[in-house]
Formats: sequence, structure tokens, C-alpha cells
Amino acid sequence: MNEKMKKEKMESPLNEPKDCRTEHNLAETAEISDRRIQSLQEAWRFQLDESKKNRSLAVIRQAAETKQIRQYPSFRENLWNQFCFLPWKCRAAQGGMLLAAMLLAGWLNSQHADGRDSIIVCSVFLVFAGNICLSGVARLFSWHMAELEQTLYLNLKQMVCIRMLEAGILDLVILSLLAGMTGRLNSLGTGAYLLYMLVPFLWSDVLYLHMLTAFRNGAAGYRQISAGILCGLLAFFPVFFEHAYEAAYLPWWRGLGLAGAVLLAAEIYGILGKIEGGDSLCLN
Amino acid sequence: MPELTIDRVTKQFKNKIAVDTVSLDLHNGVYGFLGANGAGKTTLLRMLCGVLKPTSGEIRCNGTEIRMLDGEYRCLLGYLPQDFGYYPDFTAKRYLEYLAACKAVPQYLAKEKVQEMLRLVGLEGEQKQKIKTFSGGMIRRLGIAQALLNDPEILILDEPTSGLDPKERIRFRNIISALSKGKIVILSTHIVSDVEFIADQILLMKQGCIVEQGNSREVTGSVRGKVWEYLAEPEEADRMNETFAVSNLKNEGDKVYIRIVSDTCPCEGAAPAEPGLEDVYLYYFGN
Repeated sequence: MNEKMKKEKMESPLNEPKDCRTEHNLAETAEISDRRIQSLQEAWRFQLDESKKNRSLAVIRQAAETKQIRQYPSFRENLWNQFCFLPWKCRAAQGGMLLAAMLLAGWLNSQHADGRDSIIVCSVFLVFAGNICLSGVARLFSWHMAELEQTLYLNLKQMVCIRMLEAGILDLVILSLLAGMTGRLNSLGTGAYLLYMLVPFLWSDVLYLHMLTAFRNGAAGYRQISAGILCGLLAFFPVFFEHAYEAAYLPWWRGLGLAGAVLLAAEIYGILGKIEGGDSLCLN
Repeated sequence: MPELTIDRVTKQFKNKIAVDTVSLDLHNGVYGFLGANGAGKTTLLRMLCGVLKPTSGEIRCNGTEIRMLDGEYRCLLGYLPQDFGYYPDFTAKRYLEYLAACKAVPQYLAKEKVQEMLRLVGLEGEQKQKIKTFSGGMIRRLGIAQALLNDPEILILDEPTSGLDPKERIRFRNIISALSKGKIVILSTHIVSDVEFIADQILLMKQGCIVEQGNSREVTGSVRGKVWEYLAEPEEADRMNETFAVSNLKNEGDKVYIRIVSDTCPCEGAAPAEPGLEDVYLYYFGN
């Protein structure tokens, strides 16, 4: 045996201990089979046209985009959707209120109305207008829709916020109309005039919103309408106080206004909390 | 594909525990909740929809708490409440269009989807009618249509077939079976046949807890050896009817065939019978 053969014999896997030899053989066999599989795969592989592949993928991507089955609407779209799906009766009532506000302001202006009577008429009008604007929110709590609406993408809580925002904007327009056209005639000044208008408005809103979720029975709609009328009537309360609109009573008005604002905020917070908890929704 | 995990969920209303430490894993398939009125089915379903907040425990969708997922979770959801509400001055079409807009269905797809759903529930011809003119069955069908409108991956139906006639019920079952692929469908009912045919998993609820769970075969197997058949004399049948839970009573000539659900053999001569889901219902909720 020459030197070369001796060396090969020494390096041969057969000379290794038995376990190592088996491992070595297995590894070698696996390597050979891997190489065979690879060569077979290569033999059967089609030539890829990368540009064609990219074009096809782009077409698939585009088709997938057009087949999009969900589209998360923006805040503006949600506002618009809520506005569109208000029934025409609601919109007609709101439009009617806006028109009536313009006519009332115009009439008071032409009559050179001043003082207490003008304020009372305008504040009662504002309360009714406010309640009609809020009827969009009230609608959500009637007809047993609240539970279902809470499970939608745009849920009840968000709908309430949107409709309150819409109602608030409309109320502001009406208030601006009344204040702009009649407030400047008032000897007490626009600030005091706004306060006299806002106090009954805030308190009636507190009562009206409370009625939306306070009781549970089948006559939710009638209850809400009754609450709206009652609130309007309550706005007449300064009639019973002869000197209510005198400057001496302004601190009282400020106090009532502040309390009304705090209570309104608490009421809105409470309604949103009730929606979040869900118990009242299901019971209503 | 979504996966829902109900993790030790409890719901308490003042002194009443409506759902008591329920834990479940829901994957693809139809899950049928069976139970008597007041068993806690509706409360559990309302929690799954995110309408009710659990007193304790968590509901997770793919590992994230559903309230954290917020709108993302609600997009996957289709829900038919037990007391299905609607705006009576809306037409069926407008009602579905309104819900499609709130369910984030793209505008270009909404009209097509609305028509598809109206066709599916057989209300295509009545789409321009106001909902207030609809019968109870039609309103229920409209409810099913709205639940399916956004092609939901999690479909929750509370008493979906109440008010439907047998033909409509069969049609509904077929719709659910056809649509259930790749979805989690959860339905609650006390109509045994509704779940018997379509549910992959049947869950029996009693006093806020799940007392039995499994496929139809497993659930019926749980009362094997507890269902008995007997041909009794009329007087004897009356006595047995008062004493045992009787799932069937039928006159056969001058004798009465009586089927009894009981842990022990009710009388000498009674033979064990193969249990059905109605027997299971009676066994758990008979008292």
C-alpha cells in the first residue's frame, strides 16, 4: 500500500468511531439528495419574466383595491351621512325654525321692540328651536334602535356627538340671528341679552336630555315631545318676576347660567357614560 | 380570520348575576346557544357585541380586548338584536342604506349590497314600502339582511327565527349554513331545531353558566341512558306526566306512548331510547 492509499484509509469515514461514521454518512446522503432535488427543481423551473410578473401583480393589487369592502369614512363624511339620513320632517322643522327666527327677528326689529317682552318671546322661541334641533339626538333613543346602533362602525356615542354638534351649530345660528337683529336694540346690551336668552335654553336642554334616558317604557317619543313642550313653558318663568331683567339681578342670571352650563356638561357626560356602560341602552 | 376569546366574563345587574364567569374560545363555525329565558344568552351576546360592558373578565378578538379595538372590531360585526329596532318612517331600502353608511360599507358598493341583501331575504319587491307597514316576519327578515350587510366575519344573531314561519326558518337556516364558511356565527335561541341542523357547537346555558358544550352528537350523548320510552295506560301516563320530565306524549290505540327524561328508569318495562336534542333541552332546563 503506497503512502497515498494509506492516507486515504486513515481519512476514510470507516476509520472513525461508529456513531460519528453514521452521522457523517447521513449528512452526506442528505447533501446528495438536496443537490438532486435542487437540480430537478431547476430542470422543471420556468423562466420567469420579472416585468410580466410585476405587471400581473400590479393588476391584482389594483383589483384588490377596487374590491375594497370597507371604507372608513372621515369625520366630514360621517357628519354628512348623519345629516342626509335625518328624516325630512326633522329637517323641515329645523328649516322652519330658522325661517321663523328670521321672521321673528325682522318683525321685532320693525316694531322697534325693546325690553322684557322681546326677551321673553325670543328666549321661549330659542328653547323650542333648541329642542327641535335636539330631536335628531332624541330620535336615536327611540324606536329601540340604540342597541343596534351601538354595534355599528359609527356607533351610538359618536352619532350622539355628531347630532349634538349639528344641533349646537343650528342653535348658534338662530341665537346669532336673534341677538344680532334684536339684541342691539335692547337697552341692557348684547351681553346681558345673551345671558337672558341662554339661561332658559341651558336649563331646558338639561331637562330635555335627561328625559332621553331617564325612564324606560314604550312611549319614548311621546315622552320626549312632552319634555320639549314643558321646557318651552318653563322658559316663561321670568314673567312671574317683575324685576327679573333689571341690572340688579344680573349676578343671579350669571349664577343660573353657570349652574346650567355645568349641569348640561354633566348631563352630556352622563349620557355618554350610559351609552358606554350599555345597561340603560338595553333597558330602553 | 377572527378568533374570539371569552375570558372569565361575568355580568351582574344589581343583585342578579346574569352571566357567571364564562370562558370560551370561538373560532370559525356556527355556535348555537340554547337555554331557557333568563339563562343569560342575550346578556352574553350583548357583551360580545360591545353593547354591554362586562362586570369582570375580558372579551378578546385575536388577542386584543374588543373595547380597545373599537371601530375596527365593530367593522367585523353583524348583529341582530332580540328586540330589533327600526325607524318606521324609513323604507326597507333607505333603512339598509342608512345602516350601510354607518357600517362603513363603501358608497359605490352600498347600493349593490343593499339590493343583494333584499334579494337574499326575499324583500326585493317590498323595498320601497315603509317598514311600519311590514309584518313581524318581514321585519325579522329585514333584521337578518341588515346583519349581513357588511359581510361580517363575526355574525351574532339573537333569537333570529322568532316570528318566522317554518318555510322562512328553513330558508334562514340555509342562508346561515351557506354564509358560515370562514366566519364565526353565534346564534341564541330556544328553538331546538334551529341549532340542531346548523350548529357545529351547541352550548347549553343555565343561570348564567355553560352547563354543556359540544357538537350535536356529544351533547345528545351526555344524556344517553337517561331517555326512556314506555307504552302506558292512560291513567298511568297522566301520573307519569306529573312525576317525570316528559318530552313526548302520544295516543297509540288504547295506550299512550310516553317518552321520559330521567336519571333512573321511571318504571318497570320502560326501555332506554336514543336521545335527541329536545331530550337534552328537557334534561337540563326541564325543571
